[in-house]
Amino acid sequence: MDQLPGTPPARVESPKASASPVAVSVRHLRMGYGARVLLEDASFDIHSGEIVVILGGSGSGKSSLMKNLIGLHPPLAGDVLIRGVSLVRAGADEKAALQRQLGVMYQSGALFGSLTVLENIRFPLDRFTDLSLEEKNLAVRMLLRTLEMTQAESLTPAELSGGMIKRVAIARAMALGCDILLLDEPSAGLDPVTAANLDLTLLSLRKNLGVTLIVVTHELESIFTIADRAIMLDPSARAIIADDSPVTLRDRSTDTRVHQFFNRLPDEQRASRVG
Amino acid sequence: MTSAENLTVRLEGRITAQTAAPIWRSALDTLAAHPERPIVFDASRVDYIDTVGVALLFDLSRQRRPAGAKVVFEALPPNLASLLLRFDAAEFAVPVAVRRHVGVLEHVGQSAVAQLRLLGELLRFLQLCARALVRAITRPSTVAWSDVLDLATEVGAHAVPIVLLIGFLMGVIIAFEVGQVAREFGAMIFVVNGVGKAMLRELGALMTAIVLAGRTGAAFAAQIATQRVNEELNAIATFGLDPVQFLVVPRLLAAALVVPLLAVLADVVGLFGGALVMASVFKVSYLQFYAQLLKAVTAQDFMLGILKASVFGLTVAAIGCHRGFRTGAGPASVGLSATGAVVTSIVMIVVIDGLFAVVTG
Repeated sequence: MDQLPGTPPARVESPKASASPVAVSVRHLRMGYGARVLLEDASFDIHSGEIVVILGGSGSGKSSLMKNLIGLHPPLAGDVLIRGVSLVRAGADEKAALQRQLGVMYQSGALFGSLTVLENIRFPLDRFTDLSLEEKNLAVRMLLRTLEMTQAESLTPAELSGGMIKRVAIARAMALGCDILLLDEPSAGLDPVTAANLDLTLLSLRKNLGVTLIVVTHELESIFTIADRAIMLDPSARAIIADDSPVTLRDRSTDTRVHQFFNRLPDEQRASRVG
Repeated sequence: MTSAENLTVRLEGRITAQTAAPIWRSALDTLAAHPERPIVFDASRVDYIDTVGVALLFDLSRQRRPAGAKVVFEALPPNLASLLLRFDAAEFAVPVAVRRHVGVLEHVGQSAVAQLRLLGELLRFLQLCARALVRAITRPSTVAWSDVLDLATEVGAHAVPIVLLIGFLMGVIIAFEVGQVAREFGAMIFVVNGVGKAMLRELGALMTAIVLAGRTGAAFAAQIATQRVNEELNAIATFGLDPVQFLVVPRLLAAALVVPLLAVLADVVGLFGGALVMASVFKVSYLQFYAQLLKAVTAQDFMLGILKASVFGLTVAAIGCHRGFRTGAGPASVGLSATGAVVTSIVMIVVIDGLFAVVTG
């Protein structure tokens, strides 16, 4: 994949992320569905320009946490602040305005099937800006060029491969100038080369445009390549059990669950049964 | 801020999709107003530039101007400066392809071809269904009878309330409308003939089939289309099972078995609705209605209605299954298949009813 200026190293350090302003803040979040609580009293900050992955096993509540962060599902208690403004307490109009600051890429891409690639990416620009058609088309085509998708602008989503769908979905999420991007399992279902290219794309977005990335994934390769921080959820503890750089968690964590996850180890009992 | 030769334009704050439009217009106006002077865009006070902002800068940089009147960016962050260099103006010179407008005549022609193709596919599918049905009848052990019973419950028992309601109302409407005309000629008793013939020969079967098309045809199409989208049909095929035998035959058998029963129910409540109107509005007693009905209708009328109902049931089930099998990719095609099944079923029901009228007339 063509990189934006310069090829990033295997892992790019966040540009003094902790010194940057807070982009997303989670305060005493209680998350779940009715009586089923997945997360209790969770608090963390995500700074501008950081790449943070949210990870955990299947059913740990990663995607639910993302829905809380983008206001699709209200938390049971606590608050989510976007640049200091509460998403939970916001009225309908204010919430819509806050949500427009967040670019979201859903796992399936969620592209509109009746629109071409170019029209899909232009969709938010058509509705929320005063730009002329030529200006919008230029912006969209430059995004497509950045993501190496120029040849696909006239295609419909049904004609795209999995990797192309993900890239178009990222482009659409970014089209409205969102500098906070949330991506749900961007590498899921992609071949290793396409997934690695997508990782480089994410790194270059941060490097060139200062985008803050919150990525829900459990792909270890991706985590070690892109993440400044990993926040690990555990459904049995109903808590965040780790919040540090992936390398530190892999090499130094004394928590067996974290160690097992980052070193991709099977359950001991099961391993002994198989021999 | 102008110097002797250069014109400096200061860019400030956040240049994003939300804010770029007036800046873009103003910057292009400035370039147009000073075609012979070099223009410097000072970005030292810019806080943030998004992808649209980058497009704005690129658009300014690609404007054709004389050699001594170039556009220059000052104090642009190095990452953005090098980003702009990655884009080549020639790449964006080709206009965006506009969707081709399809004229009325072309649209009609395309639709006609599509309908003919669909009819051909449907006929081939009916051939497959006929073969599978013959095999099911000659080798009943190959049929999943528990599936047939489940489907019969869904197609039949669950449709009883709506069929009763529609059948009853049809009897009421016919008796009332025909009765209004017959009263002028003093021929009230012959309204019974009209109600009896219409319900048994036509409306019992027809209305049942239309309810079936909306309810069951759409459901069959959506079920099978969803299975196709989820690749369940491929899984069935790789188990060595015939999807037509496995999915279509139980639906055809269920529809063929229960639709005639539903039509009988529609006939009975329709006649009752007619009798009710005749007794309450036109003073024709229930006994008179019954006696005249026996004179007016024959077993042949009743059997014709039941035969029609069976054919309609098979048609609706087959069309529903066919639409499900030929669905496209993605969830949207499931909805299109269901809609298509209802429309095609109703058209085919009316066509077949017309053929019956010609043959039995």
